[in-house]
Amino acid sequence: MELNFGKAINTLGPSLLGGVGIVLYITLSGFFCALAAALMIAMGRLSKNKVLSRILSVLIELIRGTPLLVQLFYIYYVIPTLLNGILSMAGYETNIQLKASTCGIIGFAVNYGCYMSEVIRSAILAVDSGQREAGLALGFSEAKVMLHFIIPPALRNSVPVFGNYLVMLIKDTSLLAMISVQELLLRTKTYASQTFLTVEAYTLLAVVYLLLSIPLSQMTGILERRLKRMP
Amino acid sequence: MLQIKNLSKCFEDLEVLKDVNLSVAKGEVVVIIGPSGSGKSTLLRCVNLLETPTGGEILYQGEDITHLGKKVTDYRKQVGMVFQRFNLFPLKNALENVMYAPVKLNKIPVKDAKEQAMDLLKKVGLENRAHAYPSALSGGQQQRVAIARALAMKPEILLFDEPTSALDPELVGDVLEVMKQLAKEGMTMIVVTHEMGFAKDVADRVIFMDGGFVIEEGAPQDIFKSPKNERTRTFLSRVL
Repeated sequence: MELNFGKAINTLGPSLLGGVGIVLYITLSGFFCALAAALMIAMGRLSKNKVLSRILSVLIELIRGTPLLVQLFYIYYVIPTLLNGILSMAGYETNIQLKASTCGIIGFAVNYGCYMSEVIRSAILAVDSGQREAGLALGFSEAKVMLHFIIPPALRNSVPVFGNYLVMLIKDTSLLAMISVQELLLRTKTYASQTFLTVEAYTLLAVVYLLLSIPLSQMTGILERRLKRMP
Repeated sequence: MLQIKNLSKCFEDLEVLKDVNLSVAKGEVVVIIGPSGSGKSTLLRCVNLLETPTGGEILYQGEDITHLGKKVTDYRKQVGMVFQRFNLFPLKNALENVMYAPVKLNKIPVKDAKEQAMDLLKKVGLENRAHAYPSALSGGQQQRVAIARALAMKPEILLFDEPTSALDPELVGDVLEVMKQLAKEGMTMIVVTHEMGFAKDVADRVIFMDGGFVIEEGAPQDIFKSPKNERTRTFLSRVL
């Protein structure tokens, strides 16, 4: 068997570089949307409103009980179809379609948001109740106590876990190949089927993923150690 | 200044406070003593509404504060509290702990709040530890920062919930010294404590509680030298 990595690097390399931009864009947007969603879901779960809390726990069970890929398909294919169908019944003929990358970001926001909300929720519950009482006794309202004294340490304690989720998210962007996002896997697959450089192409792909995820894990580790040294 | 009338508090089936009546005048130092589980801390926590009373009234400057709704935050600004376990904010240093509430709640300019916080830290003998984080402070130092933090809101009354119970014996003195100084300056204080020496020396009035009731109250010399109630006598004979 003859391997031609030189050719693969020269021809697939630039295409993968373009894909890296898309992967980073979707990863970062997805992650920060997930973080915002996670905070809101966690607050909702902890609220005194039993109905809201119950609805959110059902949502979390739905998301945790189904594969991410199925959720992405659902957002990309099913939701637009349903919307068009409902609107047509109401007398509006529409052709709603979502951009594949947008579906990816939404999918990650919801899926990772649900998982991360449980991390934040338990971190909030782990903050010493004395902090809440001290804040209240000084004259802060419940909401301000949450904002000033509970959420900051809770988020800080969640950083190591968030780092892991970020690395997982980068790798999960490969699922978006299935809904036609021009990310790394789809570009590699297309290239391999055209050139038959299967070994070279997929090896290169794996190396690119490693080059993306290893520095991120390292950075998470450094951040974690720094936070440990802080008060 | 503060009047507590027929106050009761239940936790589900457990009645912790039963028909408590108490009044505190401006500048008075009231010390509450009694065995564990007698309701002392719950009474104190009801005064700043960390616990919601089940029945009765708490009048602050003539106004019942048990149904304040959202205005409870304005009331709490006037009633400082020092906790048994200090409850300092661990991500903020001593100075930030003291100046945080005045800056965020009273919108005092940072520069002024910092000056005031340094003065308060000086008052509690910790100006040289202003930039230390709670984790780097001893229990006694943390408690003194907590007192400075409560004072920073310029409260009318200061509540102390067993402020020295979590401290090593050799650290208790510094905290009590700060409290004595505050009493001398005319601060109105309600102190729940097991420090009988402090009660004798500093209190204007001592309250003995047991089983959720106020059993006896009076001047420290009366309570300690000639308690009228049998339960007070038994308790004091055990702790003195």
